[in-house]
Amino acid sequence: MRLHLNAARASRGNWSLVAKGTFCKGIHLVSGDVGSGKSSLALMMAGLLSPAGGNIVRDGISSTMISLQFPEYHVTGATVEEECRSWGLDCEPIFSEINLRDKRTAEPLALSRGELKRLHLACVLAKNYDLLLLDEPFSSLDAREKERLCEHLSLRSAGITILFTHEQTYFPRVDHIWEIQHGELFDRGEMPGALTMWEHAPALIKKLISSGRSLKNISHLDLQEAVCRM
Amino acid sequence: MIEVSGLRYRNIGIDSLTIPPGITSVIGPNGSGKTSFLRLCSGITEPEAGEILIDGKKPRETDAGWVNEFPDKNILFSQVSEEIASALRFSHQPCRQTESAVLAIAETMDIMHLLDRTMRELSGGEKVLVALAAALVQRPKILVLDEYDSHLDEMRCLQIEQVIRSCTVPYVIRCTQQMETAARGDYLLFLENGCISLSGNPARVFASLRQTLFYPLSWRCEV
Repeated sequence: MRLHLNAARASRGNWSLVAKGTFCKGIHLVSGDVGSGKSSLALMMAGLLSPAGGNIVRDGISSTMISLQFPEYHVTGATVEEECRSWGLDCEPIFSEINLRDKRTAEPLALSRGELKRLHLACVLAKNYDLLLLDEPFSSLDAREKERLCEHLSLRSAGITILFTHEQTYFPRVDHIWEIQHGELFDRGEMPGALTMWEHAPALIKKLISSGRSLKNISHLDLQEAVCRM
Repeated sequence: MIEVSGLRYRNIGIDSLTIPPGITSVIGPNGSGKTSFLRLCSGITEPEAGEILIDGKKPRETDAGWVNEFPDKNILFSQVSEEIASALRFSHQPCRQTESAVLAIAETMDIMHLLDRTMRELSGGEKVLVALAAALVQRPKILVLDEYDSHLDEMRCLQIEQVIRSCTVPYVIRCTQQMETAARGDYLLFLENGCISLSGNPARVFASLRQTLFYPLSWRCEV
């Protein structure tokens, strides 16, 4: 199972992004500045945005899901219960997972943004997809929910998972890091070697590396272990 | 000072609270009432009982800037430059003054390259930057930011904090789920089930949260 980006290009006016590389099974992290093109790349990977040049080959990928940056874009149901059913899901396990049973008749857009994000992610993660694209999955989630999402993603043993995020402290254990700079997607490699190449690494991770602390990966546990080893 | 007394609104119940000038961060679990509290501080909604006074005036009698947690809900106009100018135009500021104020805030926030773009084609982070510029351009007395940082990279967050401090807005109340961001503020509120369970400077509040996931990881790692 592989996702090949063959000089796939997104463009708009004077701005453009070129992406080359192959995404294999595992968890990939893509970072980049505001406006660098992370969401455009995610849309191209999902097949929702046609490349202006080059192409994308989905080798052995039979199912794809993208979670858009804004959960409100996904809403089609008039109530939380209808929204859940619109994903073809049994509501009860979802409600107990995200603790929203008492809001089952509420309008999805009347939920707090964090609650809506929880509902949306629970619906997305209830099924297995070969290619799972998550655009800013941690936005609006509180610390406990971020940790829970990381645990869930770490358990995803099959398929290609790609995270596009600005998150600074909560990550699952990732296999590969990529970043967008100057209109190009760069492959920073596999973990943990990728860490020293990661220019958009959060300040905390940069500080840990520069202070000589050995980091195996970037999960909350890994970061704490790196400190304890000193 | 911002004085809150006997405040009741939906699940919010705050008997007494004083918020000093500066940047105040509001943290807490999802659904704890952070957005409702911010809406009350900005005057967008009014309390069912009690009051909030900002230097003795109600929020609706105070110039307030507001950035919504749903970036698309901030948008009124199709063009970025018009969006940023909107508050000044609504208050009938002269055209020339409005234009120079828009250019000045865009330059300060390093978003000059966005001025001729349409709102529709902006990324999520760029929409937040424009909303912030639109809120700051009128130099509000209180700036209320609902999770503005959830779509911004770390460098941009730091840059925006510098801009906000340089604009000398007397009161900034911001809700965030990034504890490192909260730790950089002047004052911190921890909201749980609609009540302020902790308040004070970040060191004091986080000391009580040391055993929780809300404690900043950078502090735990002591780097």
